[in-house]
Amino acid sequence: MNPAVAATSAEAGRIRALIEIRDRYLTAIRFFFHQRGYREVITPVLVHCPGLDRHIEAIAAGDRMFLATSPELHMKRLVCHGARRIYQITPAFRADELGPHHRAEFLMLEWYRAGIGYIEMMQETEDLIRHVSAACDRIPLCADVPFQRLSVDKLYEETAGWKPSVYWDEERYFQDWVDIIEPYLQSIPAVIVYDFPAELAALSRLSPLTNRICERFELFLNGLEICNAYSELTDPYEHHRRFELSARHRASMGRPSYKKDEIFLKYVEQGMPECAGNALGIDRLIMALTGAGHIKDVSLFPEDAG
Amino acid sequence: MLDTTALRKNLKIIIDDDPWIVVDCQFVKPGKGQAFTRTRLKNLVSGQTMDKTYKSGEKIGEQARIDECSMVFLYEQGGVYTFMDNTTYEQVELNADQVGEALNFMTENMNVEVDFYNGTPIAITLPNFVELAIIDTEPAVRGDTVSGATKPAELSTGYSVNVPLFINNGEAIVVDTRTGEYVERVKK
Repeated sequence: MNPAVAATSAEAGRIRALIEIRDRYLTAIRFFFHQRGYREVITPVLVHCPGLDRHIEAIAAGDRMFLATSPELHMKRLVCHGARRIYQITPAFRADELGPHHRAEFLMLEWYRAGIGYIEMMQETEDLIRHVSAACDRIPLCADVPFQRLSVDKLYEETAGWKPSVYWDEERYFQDWVDIIEPYLQSIPAVIVYDFPAELAALSRLSPLTNRICERFELFLNGLEICNAYSELTDPYEHHRRFELSARHRASMGRPSYKKDEIFLKYVEQGMPECAGNALGIDRLIMALTGAGHIKDVSLFPEDAG
Repeated sequence: MLDTTALRKNLKIIIDDDPWIVVDCQFVKPGKGQAFTRTRLKNLVSGQTMDKTYKSGEKIGEQARIDECSMVFLYEQGGVYTFMDNTTYEQVELNADQVGEALNFMTENMNVEVDFYNGTPIAITLPNFVELAIIDTEPAVRGDTVSGATKPAELSTGYSVNVPLFINNGEAIVVDTRTGEYVERVKK
């Protein structure tokens, strides 16, 4: 095909428009963080220890290394070194995740701020979304659309009739999440779901009020999960315990084991400052704000299966 | 026994002795949680649909042994669709529910695959690409060169697809029957 003709095809035009749209979102995100005194950092994509999450599978790169499933542990090392406000935009990789809201390679925005907890992080997240929407969207998220806040217990009690923090049943929790909770969240324009059961704490701090819940939240826009944030765990002993718990859980499910990140743990033992962190899927944010139904619709390379 | 890794649209499986087709399936994975596949299944005999959420790795059923036979769509009368085997001249009938989404793209004399389960016709499969005529679309505007712009166009089957602005009434286009999307204009 003649190049001039190829460039006028419907698909070429759509991709060129998408280049503009994605550029606007990335520019607005970077502007927001620089205005707030954040520094942009870049952490390795090729890592030895991809993190010990029970349900996240890493993609192996060669015999001994992996593609990063998240920049979390490296960014926290920078926090241990005294960085007060850092953010980064980076590809992250997860095996076997492919669907309308998932790709094995996706773009992640992750940021850490020392001296705050998850409540302040909720406000910062809302500020970010409103800023980005005002800068990029033809119809920005209305200032009078409130970001609702719902605890996990309240959400389950009202829609599924039980409280996960009182009686923990992991099987039932995720089955109900998929069958009841997620469809329910689709009816709410913006909602922060917070205070997850302690069993789903990952690397978040447990609540000082009760060890049944952790200081973790997720933002949903029309039911689409946009980000996941914590008051970060800083206790070195608890870090060891959580990693071991994850490793045992993975082994019991027959999943491959990943090494504990000893360098990260060494820095945590030397003292990790109190901070909050947040990981946000940029492709999902663009989907939610542009009304796209499939992650391919916001990708510049929709044909690439990953 | 198949597990969830085999799940895809149009997969035919036997669950509790009944043949089902996967109408829709979607990978879902709540944050920090395990993965699931949310499926909508249609019973190929009764037409009844059900929604089922499978955990990743869960067993879903046996692969259905379905016999496929090339046939020609002859005509529709009173909601009954008649197909004929071009070599044996044997004719079979299906209802609108069994023909399903294929109705959007099927025209008389089209070659299709008819699926048989235990000798009973239960469903049809269209070719991946079919040629269909446009019967109603806004005329192209001269000089409108916005690339990538599309407009709705009604096909001879009554189904509406988005097409580039240069497509006119009476022209034929190629449609991908799996996605329902415009592929290209048929060269005259």
